Amino acid sequence: MQQKSKTPSLAWRLNKLLQINAMNLVILIVGVYFIWSITSSLIANPARYLPSPIAVALSSVDMLYKGLLPSYFSDTLVRLVVGSSIGLAAGIPFGLLLGINRTVADTFQPMMNFFQSVSGIAIFPIVVIWWGNSDTTVLVVILYTSFFPIAYTVLSGVREVPIRYIHAAKTLGASRYQIMKDVLLPGSMPHIATGSRLSIGFAWRAVIAGEMLAGREGLGWMIFTGQDADKTTEVILGMILIGVTWIVLDHFLLRPLEADTIERWGLVQR
Amino acid sequence: MNAMTPKLIVEGLSHHYPDEYTGVSVHALEDINLEIFEGELVSVVGPSGCGKSTLLNILAGLLPYSVGTASVDGNIIEGPGPDRGVVFQEHAILPWRTVAKNIGHGLEIRNFPQVEREARVRDFINLVGLTGFEDKYPHELSGGMKQRCQVARTLCADPVIMLMDEPFAAVDAQTRITLQEELSRIAIATKKTILFITHSVDEAAFLADRCFVFSARPGRIKKIVDINIPREERIWANMNSNAEFIRTRDEILRLVREEVSIATEE
Repeated sequence: MQQKSKTPSLAWRLNKLLQINAMNLVILIVGVYFIWSITSSLIANPARYLPSPIAVALSSVDMLYKGLLPSYFSDTLVRLVVGSSIGLAAGIPFGLLLGINRTVADTFQPMMNFFQSVSGIAIFPIVVIWWGNSDTTVLVVILYTSFFPIAYTVLSGVREVPIRYIHAAKTLGASRYQIMKDVLLPGSMPHIATGSRLSIGFAWRAVIAGEMLAGREGLGWMIFTGQDADKTTEVILGMILIGVTWIVLDHFLLRPLEADTIERWGLVQR
Repeated sequence: MNAMTPKLIVEGLSHHYPDEYTGVSVHALEDINLEIFEGELVSVVGPSGCGKSTLLNILAGLLPYSVGTASVDGNIIEGPGPDRGVVFQEHAILPWRTVAKNIGHGLEIRNFPQVEREARVRDFINLVGLTGFEDKYPHELSGGMKQRCQVARTLCADPVIMLMDEPFAAVDAQTRITLQEELSRIAIATKKTILFITHSVDEAAFLADRCFVFSARPGRIKKIVDINIPREERIWANMNSNAEFIRTRDEILRLVREEVSIATEE
């Protein structure tokens, strides 16, 4: 397989991404705008069922002016960052521990399978019973949601480090700790990067769901209350922000980070 | 230390292991006795499945053994250790470390002072001909260069004995003969004691001072062939006219082929 000898810089990739997508993006936005506008103008009571793009834009200007939008937006982002950071900080070492110790892995594996099948939404009621409608509740759900994907990915990452690397380190006299530090940890870096991206993706969904059910502010809360308050513009605005934020985060931060790690560790050409 | 004191002693070593799929006990090695002296290059050759790689793994400490003893410098082998460096068949250099970092890894593990370590690493980079590739990553190297890097990493850690497990089996024929000549030159330069496992008769005869021919499974030492060719004369261009090389190679070939036919008849 062909391989590039130089890793392209973040700026280069960013530039390339924009160049390729610029034209498509314009067509897409214009197309959606027209279909949306026309549909909105044809239905009865558009303010209730489908406000026009202009109405949504005006509402966003209004909310920006009142300072609500920046406040909701930052609330949600802070929750994502705090919740998923704790989730990753706990999940990565846990995955490593499971990866190196078969006894620990065998003990915890059924438990991991159990919890992975119980989604973040499904644990909501019990968390609300314990912590009420609070920030803690939302954080706990984000943490729960991001913990298992990363732990699982890191576990398989450690397992997939070729045994010959471990043997080589052993014959050079490496201790268990040195094998961990010099072989298993760097060997599972690409998995850690992929798993982090996966976990943050799950966490982002959990933030919105969490705010809808237990929050008092944030984007999730905004779209949930918009439904009751008959503010459909805010519901649509919130949905757009949720999607666009993730695309920006993923394309410009998480994916390049993942690609860089995988390429830099030289594991891409297998 | 007395030159006649063996560096490596193996006495009455036998090995059985359960087959991965059937669970039936496989008899891999039977009553192996051998001694390797300081500065000697010994090759082990035999039909596939004769247990020669098993022997190397036992000596490397990567495989536990139950019957017999094996010791290096008088220390019984109980696990892997830096006194026995291993050059693996497959590329076992770490892909996330540069050439220099890979070669210095053994010294790093032993907390060698950085200045001293870097000087030593430079010496071994030069010795194996990787000068100019210090900062390259393994995926930027050819197969032959990866193996040179492995040899340098092993030697840089200064083991008592270097164990080599078919190290040139995966490289192309041209690179292979170059690597063989270079190993011979490195053996002169470092006076390192080397155990070299191979299935190539030519390679075994070209490199070794003594060649241990293994029988088909269970592996036993069928014969020890002495190869009296001064190390300085070991260049492939000379070998076709070297009577000692031709004689020993043919003898080893005959011994191995007997075993191969026994193995196929079974």
